[in-house]
Amino acid sequence: MSDNVTKVFNWVNHRLPIQNTYERHLSKHPVPKKVNFWYLFGALAAVVLIIQIVSGIWLIMLYTPGEAAFSSIEYMMRDVDYGWAIRYMHTTGASMFFAVVYLHMFRGLLYGSYQKPKELVWIFGCTIYLAMMAEGFLGYVLPYGQMSYWGAQVIISLFGALPYIGESLELWIRGDYYISDITVNRFFALHVVALPLVLIALVFLHLIALHEVGAGNPEGVDIEAYTDEDGVPLDSVPFFPYKVLNALVGIGVFMTVFAIIMFFFPEGGGYFIEYANYEEANPLVTPAHIAPVWYYSPYYSILRAVPDKLGGFAAMGAAVAIFFVVPWLDRSKVASIRYKGILSKIALVMFGMSFLTLGYLGTVSVTEHRKTMGIICTFIYFSYFLLMPVYTSIEKTKPVPDRL
Amino acid sequence: MNIKNIFSINLKWIRAFLLLFVSFTYIDLEAAEEAPCKDYGECDEFKHSLKDMSSLQSGASTFLTYCYGCHSLEYSRWNRIANDLQIPEEIFFDNLVFDPSIKPGDLMAGSMSKEESAKWFGVAPPDLTLVTRLHGSDWVYTYLRTFYEDSSKQYGVNNLVYPGAAMPNVLAALQGNQQLACKQVPVIAKNGGEKRDNSGNPITKEKCGFLSIEEGTGSLNQEEFDELIYDLTNFLTYVGDPDKVERERIGWYVVFFFIIFTTLSSLLHREYQKDYH
Repeated sequence: MSDNVTKVFNWVNHRLPIQNTYERHLSKHPVPKKVNFWYLFGALAAVVLIIQIVSGIWLIMLYTPGEAAFSSIEYMMRDVDYGWAIRYMHTTGASMFFAVVYLHMFRGLLYGSYQKPKELVWIFGCTIYLAMMAEGFLGYVLPYGQMSYWGAQVIISLFGALPYIGESLELWIRGDYYISDITVNRFFALHVVALPLVLIALVFLHLIALHEVGAGNPEGVDIEAYTDEDGVPLDSVPFFPYKVLNALVGIGVFMTVFAIIMFFFPEGGGYFIEYANYEEANPLVTPAHIAPVWYYSPYYSILRAVPDKLGGFAAMGAAVAIFFVVPWLDRSKVASIRYKGILSKIALVMFGMSFLTLGYLGTVSVTEHRKTMGIICTFIYFSYFLLMPVYTSIEKTKPVPDRL
Repeated sequence: MNIKNIFSINLKWIRAFLLLFVSFTYIDLEAAEEAPCKDYGECDEFKHSLKDMSSLQSGASTFLTYCYGCHSLEYSRWNRIANDLQIPEEIFFDNLVFDPSIKPGDLMAGSMSKEESAKWFGVAPPDLTLVTRLHGSDWVYTYLRTFYEDSSKQYGVNNLVYPGAAMPNVLAALQGNQQLACKQVPVIAKNGGEKRDNSGNPITKEKCGFLSIEEGTGSLNQEEFDELIYDLTNFLTYVGDPDKVERERIGWYVVFFFIIFTTLSSLLHREYQKDYH
């Protein structure tokens, strides 16, 4: 019997690299043996991606795009058995996706996870983030509540600020002269088919590139420098079962938090699901206060910090785009913040602070004082990146140990 | 995982960061937002009790008697409410459903057509299925108790929480005539104490905007009326989120499962870590 199983397995394996792939990417894939909790957020992002895809498939079965969008959501929340579970899983997942990705990106900045030879891993990651922002925006429009409508109105009108092509571009995105069921239908198609395909492809590339150059560690040590006779790094352990078990603990903690939010605080105090979105979209009534969901709010603040609409749009775009060139802005000889100098530490703290402050400002209405704070924080945000070539090359770094 | 290390290197910085961030946001507190309950100020706190069936049943009865004439609950179904509130369907349909053509599984689509009512009132009375989720239960609880007489308005009443509300005070017969009144309040000195004159009597000034009910004009006293509004708001809180009780019940099991899962995987991880530590 087992002989036959082996025969079948061998037959397939000669035609499809099952064993090879399994060993290369799982059972024998070497990972640094000493990492900290910051290194878990990549795995958590993968978990959320799976949650979003699975809950999303079920949502599609129940959701009706177009004019019936709002009532179809209420229908699934009330009349479908456990429909609320599917929907809250997806809304909680959206916020958690951004939360873990922001922490994952911060890890990258903290330990220099973009430095040579990981530039492509970083760039694929930045592209995933960009695709996520688009995916999140499109998904937010689908329930067709007041905030869906007016949020979309604000974002789409930004494209109208572009010179020459602006107005026609705006019309082309909406597919109508105002946001209508035509817009919702096309956003639905992009949200459930086009962007998930792009996201999955990018995640695949992100992982393949990562496995080619090897995962980093908080010390910034190159573990490939010391290997045994088989070429396996001495300071590494196989991905399976060691790294998997490590990740499992992180996933357990994360899922506990996820479940607490999903079952007890699905609205997240109006930050995960905005209260204004419990009213159906009404093109005739503008809400008193239009605020984006929390994960876009830092960029919304940057948009508002620049008085000119086109300028604000450009600043917002630049704030995201600048992540792509970080590998070439960092001139430091060391990767990890542990061995970088004082300037890098101050810069990173200032950046983190400005990002959080911008995030807060983006959720509240504007006053004179907040406007000034927004401008200061936008300035700090960009300084972190633009001054990076300077402060990383002039500061004194500490020597990096040879081994982990 | 070396959590100790990561905290020790950056503890200084994290502390500095938090300090600066807190001082940043603290400065910002000066800019006060508009009060959530407008002219009333902060809304009165409402604590729901979604397992109190008699409160929910009384709220449903008040809603169907006084509110349903104009306001629909268009995402909710008749028999769902009867079942969730443990009212036998026969009693429910005999006593609370006034239109014999309604079937148990119908949506509570309201008893007026939206187009007609928009013509009559200038604006169609909004659907109330999600009102507690849109404005919050505190808001609804406060709003329903803050109508006051104002002869300049179309229906003779205005509202502190929703100034200019295009709705008559349907419950006036129960509550009585509520007016805005003035009263003498103590003058507060800069040091926070009450100001007194030379003979030690408190100095007072007139302050207006207090709600007061003309005695004997309503069939309920203030306590009974507040309770009626409590039950009504409790019912609307249920309608806004009918699965809340069930969701939280299941939630405990799910959270418990993941805590066990984390504990076991952490023990297993620790065991395997011995291989390379």
